[in-house]
Amino acid sequence: MDSIISGFVKAFSLIFHLDKELLGIIFLSLKVSGLALIIAAAIGLPFGAIIGLRRFYGRDLIISVLNTFMGLPPVVVGLSLYLILSRSGPLGFMGLLYTPSAMATAQSILAFPIVASLCHSAIVSVDPIIKQASVTLGATPLQVTITIMKEARYGIMSGVIAAFGRVMAEVGAILIVGGNIAGYTRVMTTTIALETDKGNFELALALGIVLLAISLMINMVLHYVQKLGVRTK
Amino acid sequence: MSELGLTIKEIKKSYNGKVVLNDCSFVFDRGKTHVIIGPNGSGKSTLLRISALLEYPDEGKVIYHDDYKTFEDNVELYRRITLVFPKGGLFNITVFKNAAYGLKLRRINKGEVEKKVEDALRDVGLWEKRNQNALTLSTGEGQRLALARAMVLNPDVLFLDEPTASLDPRNTSIIEEIISNIKRRYMPTIIMVTHNMFQAQRLADSVIFVYEGQIVDGGPGNKFFENPTDERAYKFITGQMVY
Amino acid sequence: MRLFKSLLLSVLVLSVVSVPAVSAETRIRCASTTSTQNSGLFDYILPIFEKKTGIKVDVVGVGTGAALEIGKRGDCDVVFVHAEEFELKALKEGYFVNRYDVMYNDFIIIGPSNDLAKIKDMKSASDAFKRITETNYFFVSRGDRSGTHIKELSIWKKAGIEPKGQKWYLEVGQGMEKTQRVANEKKAYTLTDRGTWLATKDKDKLEMSIVLEGDPILFNQYGIMAVNPERHRHVKYKEAMEFVIWIISQEGQKAIADFKDKNSNQLFIPNAK
Ligand SMILES: Nc1ncnc2c1ncn2[C@@H]1O[C@H](COP(=O)(O)OP(=O)(O)OP(=O)(O)O)[C@@H](O)[C@H]1O
Ligand SMILES: [Mg+2]
Repeated sequence: MDSIISGFVKAFSLIFHLDKELLGIIFLSLKVSGLALIIAAAIGLPFGAIIGLRRFYGRDLIISVLNTFMGLPPVVVGLSLYLILSRSGPLGFMGLLYTPSAMATAQSILAFPIVASLCHSAIVSVDPIIKQASVTLGATPLQVTITIMKEARYGIMSGVIAAFGRVMAEVGAILIVGGNIAGYTRVMTTTIALETDKGNFELALALGIVLLAISLMINMVLHYVQKLGVRTK
Repeated sequence: MSELGLTIKEIKKSYNGKVVLNDCSFVFDRGKTHVIIGPNGSGKSTLLRISALLEYPDEGKVIYHDDYKTFEDNVELYRRITLVFPKGGLFNITVFKNAAYGLKLRRINKGEVEKKVEDALRDVGLWEKRNQNALTLSTGEGQRLALARAMVLNPDVLFLDEPTASLDPRNTSIIEEIISNIKRRYMPTIIMVTHNMFQAQRLADSVIFVYEGQIVDGGPGNKFFENPTDERAYKFITGQMVY
Repeated sequence: MRLFKSLLLSVLVLSVVSVPAVSAETRIRCASTTSTQNSGLFDYILPIFEKKTGIKVDVVGVGTGAALEIGKRGDCDVVFVHAEEFELKALKEGYFVNRYDVMYNDFIIIGPSNDLAKIKDMKSASDAFKRITETNYFFVSRGDRSGTHIKELSIWKKAGIEPKGQKWYLEVGQGMEKTQRVANEKKAYTLTDRGTWLATKDKDKLEMSIVLEGDPILFNQYGIMAVNPERHRHVKYKEAMEFVIWIISQEGQKAIADFKDKNSNQLFIPNAK
């Protein structure tokens, strides 16, 4: 019990005296996950929109696959990506392994199904009359799509934020493709894993608390967004 | 006066095997107000949606034309017609943005959009509420907004599906007045559904009676109500129909 | 909508602002083991090397097997591990060139302080292992293909015992320190390296002590070698060799000897020839 309390005390004093290295780690986490989110959203939102709005052969299968992939094991993603990005792999020539870009790629693969699937469900829950209203007011198919996505915006945002939360807390995949190189690819979660391994529990705990605080903020934004959506219904 | 009229030809439509419209043909003359009446579930809204090109019929055709030629089923045509839904269909944005929606789609310059929207919102008495979210409006206000949203587009053909359903007498007369104004100012082709027989009499140039998916009677507005030829139409108008 | 836009914008700005400044410095990548990395050795010696040559060494710490694999696939420029037999095999297969001995530390067998299995007066590690199996005590294994694990397996082999699947054999699949802690909880025996043992026994309040040391089989040789540039054209062979040469030079060897853990114990003994 004592060691837990003193661990927390030390952890908090570390947080209040954040040094440059630690700040760099936190910043890199945000950067990698932010980048991953942008990529995942850029692909996932149109993808979710298409399966939400169009009816085509194989659509149900895609939705099931997407929902399954929401729980994709990060290590599997990491390993597969490692084999692809490795110098001996098909994309080895790009020299991306053990770089922040590789980490962002891994995270965007993890975020993509979440973004796409939640975007899809937000869109199908939009009243079909919205589509007809937009058509009858003169919208082109693309304008109809944009209108429906705007109607679904709160649900879509929830999806994006949920995906951000997931990738921020992820460690398995980025450890494999990032290599946890000090000052280069070391982020919060991989540092926590490493410091725990080394037995530096206070530092690991301090970072854990920071991570939790960030998650808390993300979830507060999420809750706010969802409340916004409800209020105007 | 509107240059656009339309003809529906042998329209058939069924949902999940149940026939909803059967062999409906009619010529909607341009510049006139056509009122569709008929029992609940007889297929009026469906007929309206198909005529407004929001849905395809299983069989038959909808043809838009002026006195000289017919028009293709394309965005240009879509932008000359519009439909006002009985309820819903308002976007989860402000009143102003709802009213400006159609104009923005047409890439009309901002100053003009603002002017037109302001005029329309003042006409329907919603200018003060322009910054309110449209989904928070009362039923009557929402219906007025839906009308304003269609009005700013100055359509050649205006479809109205029960524009005064569930409105109080005052709102009903406000809406009727707006429709009369539109008629007077632009003379669009109006095709509207209503269950209010007095309203039908007040507004209709021509009346169509739909029964079980078929157009069974119709005629010029004033004559039809005095002297419906079909017995079912007579019973329906006088409230004696049992179904 | 405004919220949505500002959210998106802030994420964008964040990622653009923080794109790493592409520096002109040369970096090479060294695959090593987690235990070496966790010892803190690199944090001590790499800045000395960087200051001298301007070359930054990025260390990827993984298991021994993975470190060699990363090298074989050309995903690093140099490997620094402790699995001599495997290193020499990979060298012979042409994956690597220029292997040198760098330093060693040794493995020890630790067990409950009261040593009820009576290992303390024994000399041979394989005999000790045999004795443990004849008692009721658990043996905790890393079970992760790490250098320590590989060493342990070679001792079992010498003892002529197949431990896998036995009920007294616990494979934890974790790092050395956690493995020690499991052994402590279970009042079991385990094989560990002296560095980890010295660094953690007080901190983790282990009620254990060394029961056997000094058998030559427990000798843990570290080697360094460069990835063969003829197999992987992109590797930074020149810089990698600069690192290799430095680490076996007098200066590099001194740095290794100077490195002390938190408790001022020397963890590695340089022995480059
Ligand atoms: N999308 C649909 N799917 C299945 N059935 C439908 C659909 N739309 C309409 N129907 C059915 O078609 C029939 C006619 O519906 P419609 O809305 O056209 O009636 P209506 O004449 O407008 O009735 P009301 O006066 O009550 O508005 C009804 O039985 C209705 O249930
Ligand atoms: Mg209807």
